[in-house]
Amino acid sequence: MSQRSEVYRTSLLGLLSPAIVLSVWESAGALGWINPILLPRPSQIVWSLVELVADGAVFPPLLYTIALFVVGYAIASILGIAIGVAMATSETLYGLLEPLVEILRPIPKSALVPVLFLFLGIGKTTMITVVVLAAVFPVLISTFQGVRGLDPVLLETARTFQVSRMRTIFSIILPASLPMILAGMRVALGLGLVLVILAEMLAGEDGIGFRILDLQRAFQIREMFAWIFVLVALGGGLMMLFDLIERTLVPWRGKT
Amino acid sequence: MSVVGTLEGASSKPSAAGSIRRRLGPRLYGVLLIAAILLFWEVSSRLGWIVSAYWPPVTKILWAAISQLGGGDILVSLAATLRRALTGYAIGSVLGIALGILLGKSKVLRIALLPLIEIVRPIPTPAVIPPLILFLGVDDALKIFAISLATFFPVFTNTFAGVATVDDTLIQTARTFRTSWARTLLRVVLPATLPAIAAGLRTATSLALVVAVVSEMVAGSSGIGYYLVEMQYALRPDLMYAAVMYLAITGYAVNRLFLVLEARLIPWMGKT
Repeated sequence: MSQRSEVYRTSLLGLLSPAIVLSVWESAGALGWINPILLPRPSQIVWSLVELVADGAVFPPLLYTIALFVVGYAIASILGIAIGVAMATSETLYGLLEPLVEILRPIPKSALVPVLFLFLGIGKTTMITVVVLAAVFPVLISTFQGVRGLDPVLLETARTFQVSRMRTIFSIILPASLPMILAGMRVALGLGLVLVILAEMLAGEDGIGFRILDLQRAFQIREMFAWIFVLVALGGGLMMLFDLIERTLVPWRGKT
Repeated sequence: MSVVGTLEGASSKPSAAGSIRRRLGPRLYGVLLIAAILLFWEVSSRLGWIVSAYWPPVTKILWAAISQLGGGDILVSLAATLRRALTGYAIGSVLGIALGILLGKSKVLRIALLPLIEIVRPIPTPAVIPPLILFLGVDDALKIFAISLATFFPVFTNTFAGVATVDDTLIQTARTFRTSWARTLLRVVLPATLPAIAAGLRTATSLALVVAVVSEMVAGSSGIGYYLVEMQYALRPDLMYAAVMYLAITGYAVNRLFLVLEARLIPWMGKT
């Protein structure tokens, strides 16, 4: 971690190599060394992006993708935490659910996308289900590991003071395993985004994934790159938001 | 980075031979639950509770899966997918380990390359496929590239973070003995970083399979991802479910194999 912050501390140096790559790309394009139809110049892409934002065309698909993702991610997080805690605290539930989880977990979730299209039809429900399926397992597993790895003294202390089961879960177990839960949610964030984009590409009616593939097929490459940029900004933005939330909730993280 | 661990691996119970019986005890209900779900699936389909062409009985799917064993499309497609996943995985991992170590140890390389890597990293993989089609076509080159790219990041990130935690005394000792730079990297830094690298490699195995399937779906002409989409259009849900089943078995087997190899090759894993 320290090495990464070192690069940002010397932030001007950090900007150097991206600047070099961009200017080589730009001038190679301007000199006609690369085919402008296949790979437009950065300035052209930026221009498309500006147009996209200026006339507001960027917002409906962006909000569409965000809405699908956020709903699915929220459901997956709640389900994952709930089942993870339940399995870690109750032997019966562990025995009941562990085989099922172990069967479902190794399925590459992308393979389920066509299955769900057939099964649920093409629409928002399917997209959200896809995100839930992709995001729930990392949350579940790291929650489980976090709770199982808790110091037994914590739980015994709670029992000594006759704290109720619900209260033990909400006031002791959840806060103490929060760092692990968040680690799982971080993995789930990336996976969920990948899957929602894939689902939109395969059978989208709208959304960023649909736009990117649609523009590629229509050979509007400049616009396609602009949309990819939007997607990268979305992914990066979500990650930064996540970091911010994590730092607020778990300020002691990484300081052990 | 134990996020991708297994459920049982985290069990705080001692897994001595005597407790196997105790562990299987509660799991019996889990196995029964699965049996009940499958039975409900079968019955609901046979009796027409759920009237849908996309809800074939379990036995029909199993039959489709078994009949594929005699040399069907699914196994051929799966082999193509695995070949691509493995090639891409190998390339991505080697690059990830090499760059992770080099960037971890060299400040110049860090300044030159780390910002570029950080820029590319948040791009969701499906998004890189459409532009890559323009340059690499829709054949193996595209898919292997996409898989390499996806596997590179977890391996790189873990290696890079692992190098930072290598005990400085080790490196000082190597310097004392005038060990060359390259030899220090290979014989001191690499082994000390292996547990971290292995964690990255494990995340990457499942990613490689996912991205292989994804790339075949978006730009397919063969492979299990393409097969799935094809069967979706052909309205053959039984074959589709059978293909998903084979994929799940593959994913499970790969994960198990990895755990076994990890225990064999890195006995000092998790003993810091």
